[in-house]
Amino acid sequence: MRLSSKTRGLGASESVHRTGIQQLVQRFARNQLAVVGFILVLAISLAAVFAPVLAPHDPLDQNLPLKRSLPGQHFVLGADEFGRDILSRLLFGGRSALLVGVLSFAVAASIGLVLGMVSGVAAGIVDDVIMRLNDIVLAFPYLLLALLIVTALGPSVLSTTIAVGLWGAPSFVRLVRAEVIALRNREFIEAARAVGARSSAIMVRHLLPNFAGSLITFGTLFMARAILVEAALSFLGLGVQPPTPSWGLMVSSGRDFLRVAPHISTLPGIAIMLAVLGFNLLGDGLRDALDPKLRN
Amino acid sequence: MRPWVITLLLIAMVASVGGCARQEPAPAPPAPSPAPVPPVPAGPKTGGTLTIARPTDSISLVSNLDTTAPGMWLFTNIAEPLLRLNEDMELEPVLAERWEFITDTTVRFYLKRGVTFHDGTPFNAEAVKFNFDFAIYGTPRARWAGLVGPVDQAVVVDAHTIDISMKEPYGPTLYALAMPYWGVLSPASIAKYGNDYGRNPVGTGPFKFVEWRTNDRIVLERNDEYWGDKPYLDRVVFRVIPEESARMMALERGEVQMVLQPAPSAIASLSNDPRFVVHQELGLRIYYLGFNCSLEPVNDPVVRRAVAHAINIPEIVEHVLEGGAVPAQGFMSPGVFGFHDMDLETSLKYDPALAQSLLAQAGWTTKDSEGYLTKDGKRLTLTMLGYRGRFLKDAEIMEAVQHYLRRAGIEVKIDWLEWAAAFEIMRSAHMPQHLVVSGWLTVNADADYSLFGLFHSQETPPKGWNRFQYANSDFDRLIEAGRATLVLSERLRLYRQAQEVLVKDVPMIPLSNTLETVITINKIKGFVLHPVEYNLILKGVWID
Amino acid sequence: MLNYMIRRLVMSIPVILGVVLVVMFTLEVVPGDPAALMLGEFATEEAVRELRTTLGLDKPLMVRYVNYLAGLVRGDLGRSVRERRPVIREVADAFPFTLKLSFWAFMVSLLVGVPSGVISAVRKYSIFDNLARLISLLGLSMPVFWIGLFLIIIFSLRYPLFPVGGHGTWKHLVLPSITLGLPSIAIISRMVRSSVLEILGEDYVRTARAKGLAERVVIYKHALRNAMLPVLTVMGLQIGQLMGGAVLTENVFGWPGMGRLMVRSIFNRDFVLLQGTVLVFALSFVLVNLIVDLSYAVVDPRVTYK
Repeated sequence: MRLSSKTRGLGASESVHRTGIQQLVQRFARNQLAVVGFILVLAISLAAVFAPVLAPHDPLDQNLPLKRSLPGQHFVLGADEFGRDILSRLLFGGRSALLVGVLSFAVAASIGLVLGMVSGVAAGIVDDVIMRLNDIVLAFPYLLLALLIVTALGPSVLSTTIAVGLWGAPSFVRLVRAEVIALRNREFIEAARAVGARSSAIMVRHLLPNFAGSLITFGTLFMARAILVEAALSFLGLGVQPPTPSWGLMVSSGRDFLRVAPHISTLPGIAIMLAVLGFNLLGDGLRDALDPKLRN
Repeated sequence: MRPWVITLLLIAMVASVGGCARQEPAPAPPAPSPAPVPPVPAGPKTGGTLTIARPTDSISLVSNLDTTAPGMWLFTNIAEPLLRLNEDMELEPVLAERWEFITDTTVRFYLKRGVTFHDGTPFNAEAVKFNFDFAIYGTPRARWAGLVGPVDQAVVVDAHTIDISMKEPYGPTLYALAMPYWGVLSPASIAKYGNDYGRNPVGTGPFKFVEWRTNDRIVLERNDEYWGDKPYLDRVVFRVIPEESARMMALERGEVQMVLQPAPSAIASLSNDPRFVVHQELGLRIYYLGFNCSLEPVNDPVVRRAVAHAINIPEIVEHVLEGGAVPAQGFMSPGVFGFHDMDLETSLKYDPALAQSLLAQAGWTTKDSEGYLTKDGKRLTLTMLGYRGRFLKDAEIMEAVQHYLRRAGIEVKIDWLEWAAAFEIMRSAHMPQHLVVSGWLTVNADADYSLFGLFHSQETPPKGWNRFQYANSDFDRLIEAGRATLVLSERLRLYRQAQEVLVKDVPMIPLSNTLETVITINKIKGFVLHPVEYNLILKGVWID
Repeated sequence: MLNYMIRRLVMSIPVILGVVLVVMFTLEVVPGDPAALMLGEFATEEAVRELRTTLGLDKPLMVRYVNYLAGLVRGDLGRSVRERRPVIREVADAFPFTLKLSFWAFMVSLLVGVPSGVISAVRKYSIFDNLARLISLLGLSMPVFWIGLFLIIIFSLRYPLFPVGGHGTWKHLVLPSITLGLPSIAIISRMVRSSVLEILGEDYVRTARAKGLAERVVIYKHALRNAMLPVLTVMGLQIGQLMGGAVLTENVFGWPGMGRLMVRSIFNRDFVLLQGTVLVFALSFVLVNLIVDLSYAVVDPRVTYK
C-alpha cells in the first residue's frame, strides 16, 4: 500500500491549534488500540535501546551442542541452528530494525521536506519536474527499487537504510507538497509575506510547525513499512548480513528446520508482526486524535 | 475490539506453531553402508518417470563447462567415456571393447561398433579424436583438462581404433582416461549448437536430453536406440528444490522419488522407515577451508595454522553435518590411492590458546573495541567466498567458521553469491577473497589427481585448480616424481612426503570426508550408489 | 474524457523513459565490469576490451541509454551473463508464472476482501466486524514471507494438505496465492467497509430503504456498486503491492517466476538479466496503473478532468 492513501485529508491540521495538547492526549488515551500501539512501540524501543543490558547472552555466541533447543530447554526462547540464544538475538534484531527504520525515516523525511516545500512553494515548472521524478520512483512496485539500490551499493545496514529511505521519499514529497499548497494562501502566510519575510524563512518558521503533526503521524506509519522492508531484504539475504542479528535473517535461517524446530523461524516473525502492529496502531491513533473527523 | 483479543490470538498462533515442534531425532550414528539389495526375483519393470530433487541447478550439461556434480549427475547419463571406474572402483569397458598399452605412454583403444549418438550420427574413432582435441586443445580448453595427467594426443588408426598417448610415462594413465569427464559428445551437435552446446548435450548414453528450464527442472528420456541393456525408466526429471526441508517433504509426499543431498537431520528417522531406502557410503570427497595464499595476511603459514587451531572441526562435523560426513583424516579420502592418514585431530587440533599465541607471533597482539585483533591499527579481517546449497550444509559451515574465527579475534566477512557465480570466481586467476569453503572429489581415486591438480604451483586457475595459489617447490618436485614413476610403493612414499609438506604449510584445512547419501522411496529398485558422486548411474534403475 | 485519456497516455511516456534511466543508472555504479563478468575465468584484458566494444560499453551512458531503448522497442534486452541466453527468453519463461500467481492472489483477496468488507459494514461492531478488523490489522502487520512459512508449517508439515513448494498442479498454487493475497484482503476489506458505510448513510440509499426495498437489494444494487469505485483506486496500488510481494512469495515457495529470477540474478551478479527483469516488472506496473486509471474514467463518469 502506498502511504498517501492513509493520510487523505490531513491538510486540515489547524485542528492542532484549536485543540490543546491536553485534549489531544485525552482523545488518544480513549482509543484503546492506540494505547496498545503506544505500549508496543515503547516496549520495543526500550528493548532495543537496552538490548546489551537485557540480553541474557551474547547474540553472536554459538553453542553448537545446544543447537535448536526448544523454548525453555536451555534458553527462555530456545536456540537457533547454531545454538545461539534466540531471545538475545531478538533483542539485538530489534536494534537493527529500529535503526534502519529511524534512519530511513530521516532520509525520506528530509528529502520530502526539501523537495515537497520547494515543489509546493515554487509551483510551475519546478513543481512539474519534481512531481515527474516522484512519479518515476513511484512507478517501481514495492521492494523493487530497494532491491536495485541494495544491489548497486552492496548488501549492508547502510545500503538498506538508503534503499528504504529513497523508496519512502516520494510519499513524503507528496504529503509535504499537499500541506504547503493547502497553507500557501492562508492569511497568516500572506501576512508574513506582506511584511517581507523571505520564502525560506516562511517555510521554516510558519509552514513547518503547521504540518509537524501530520508528518509525525505519517512517519509512524512509515516506520511500520520500513521495518517490513528491512525484514524482507534481510530475508532475501540482501539486507543485514550474518552474523549480525536481524529479524528477517532469523526467519530465513530457520527455514531448513521448519519441521524439527519451527520456533527458529516463527519467533522472529512474531517480533516483526508486533513491531509493525505497534507502529500501525500508534499511527492510526495519532491520526484519529489529530483529526477526529476521520474516524468512522 | 478489545486489546485482549489480540493477546489471545497471538497466544493461539504461538501455541499452534509450538505444537508442531517434534523432538528432534538423535544424531545419526555413522551409518554403515546398507547391504547391497539382492536382485528381486520378479525382475525389473520398464516404464515410469523418476523425479529427483536436488538443491542447485546445473551450470552446464557438458563436462567441459561444468565439472561439478550438478552438471555431472546429468552428463554421466547422457554421454559415456571409453572406460570407467565401476562401483567397486575397478576399470570396466564402456564405449571401448578393450584396450592395450602399445608403448609405455600410448594406449590403443578398440571401440564398440554400431553405436550411434542421440542425433543418429555414428560413434567412431574420428568422434573420439574430435572430442579429445576439443577438450584438451580447444579455446577455451575443458575445465578438467588439467586433471587428466600429461595427455598428449589422440591418433586415429582406423574407424574403430584409436591411440591415446601421454607426454611421458604416467602412473595412473588408465585411471585418468576412465574419468566421466571424457564422455563423448556428437561432433555434429557441437558444430550445430556452437556456444549453446552446453545446454544441448548429445551423447551415446542411456538417456537423451529433452528440456532444461533454468532453476526449475531438467528432463531426460530413455534412449530407445541404446547400444547396451535398455534402460527401464521412460523419463528422468531433475528438479531444483533449494530448501532442505522442502526437499525432504517432497520425498515424503511422493512428489519426488529420490533426494540428493538429503537433510542430515532427517537421515536417522528415515533409515528406520520402511517406506524409504537410505543409500550411504564413504565418498571420495573432502570438504575443506581453503586459503588464498597470495593474499595478506594468510600468505603467512603461521596465520593459516592459527586459523586451523581456532576452528573446532569435530564440533562442526557432529552438529552441523549431523551424520552427513565424518571428520577428515587427511587431505584426501581414505579410498584414494596414495592417501595418508595425517592424524589431523592432533596435528591441526582445536586449540584456541595455541591459535592466540600463533597470531601473536604473527604480530596480531592488540584488540579493538569489538574484540577483534589489530596490528598497526588495522583490524584482522578476512573475506570469504560464500554460496548456499551446492554442498551439504555449505552456508552453515561457513557461518560456523565465521563464528570460531570471531572468537579467536578474526573478523570474517562473507560475500554471498549463487553457486554458478562463486564457481567462476574460484576458477578465475585472481580470487579476491582470503577464504573459501568448498569440496574436492578425487574423481579417479588416484592421489595424483588431487595433489597435482589442487596444489602444484603451475596449476593455478584458470589453467588448473590450485585455487589456493599455493607454491612450494619441494612439494612440486615430490608430486612430479610421484606421477612419473610406475612403481606403486615408490609412489606411495613420495605422496606421503608430499602430504607431510602440506600439513606444515596448510594451504587448506580439511574439514570432513563426505558420506555420500541418497534417499529413495522403496519402490525404486536397482540403484547403486557410486563412491564418486558424479556417477549417478540411472540406466539400471526401475520402479516397482 | 477522451482528452483525459490521451493526456494520461502522454504523461506515462516520461515516466517510462525515467524508469529505464533509473534502472540503467543504478546498475551503472555496481562495481565489476559486465564484460569481465561475461567472460568469466577466461577473461584476458584484451578479450574484455574487445567485448566491451562489441557490447558498446565503452560508449557514454546516454548513447547506451538510447541504444537500450531502441533494443527495448525491438524486444531485445541483451544477453544474460550467466545463462548465456537472451534476457527476453528468460523473462518470457518466468513472467507467466508471476502473472498466474498474482492473478490468483488477487482473486483470493477480492473474493474474501469484498464480502467480508460488506458484512463488516452492514453488521457494524458485530463480532464478525471486530474479528475481521482484527485479522486485517494483523494481516497488514505480518511479513509476507513469514505468512508463507507459517502456512507451510501448518498446511504442509502438520497437516500435509498442500505441497511445500514448486509448481505443477492447482495444489501448488493454493498456499502461495493465499500468502500473497492476505495483506491485500486486509486492505480491500477495510476499503469496502468504509465506503459501504459512507454510502449507506447517503440520501438515495435512505430513500431506497424508505421505499421499502429489500435490504439485500439496497446493499447489492446501490451500495456495493458505488462502493466499488474507491476499491478500484486502491486496486492499482494493490497490484504493485502484489508484484513486490511476489518477489518474496516466489522465494519462499520456489515458484519459478520473475521474483526468483530477480533475486537469483542479483546473487549471480548477472546485472544484464537483473536490469531486464526489473524493467519488465516496473513497466508492466506502469501499464497496470494506466489501465486502472483509464477504466476509472470509464466507470465513473461523474468525475471531471481538468
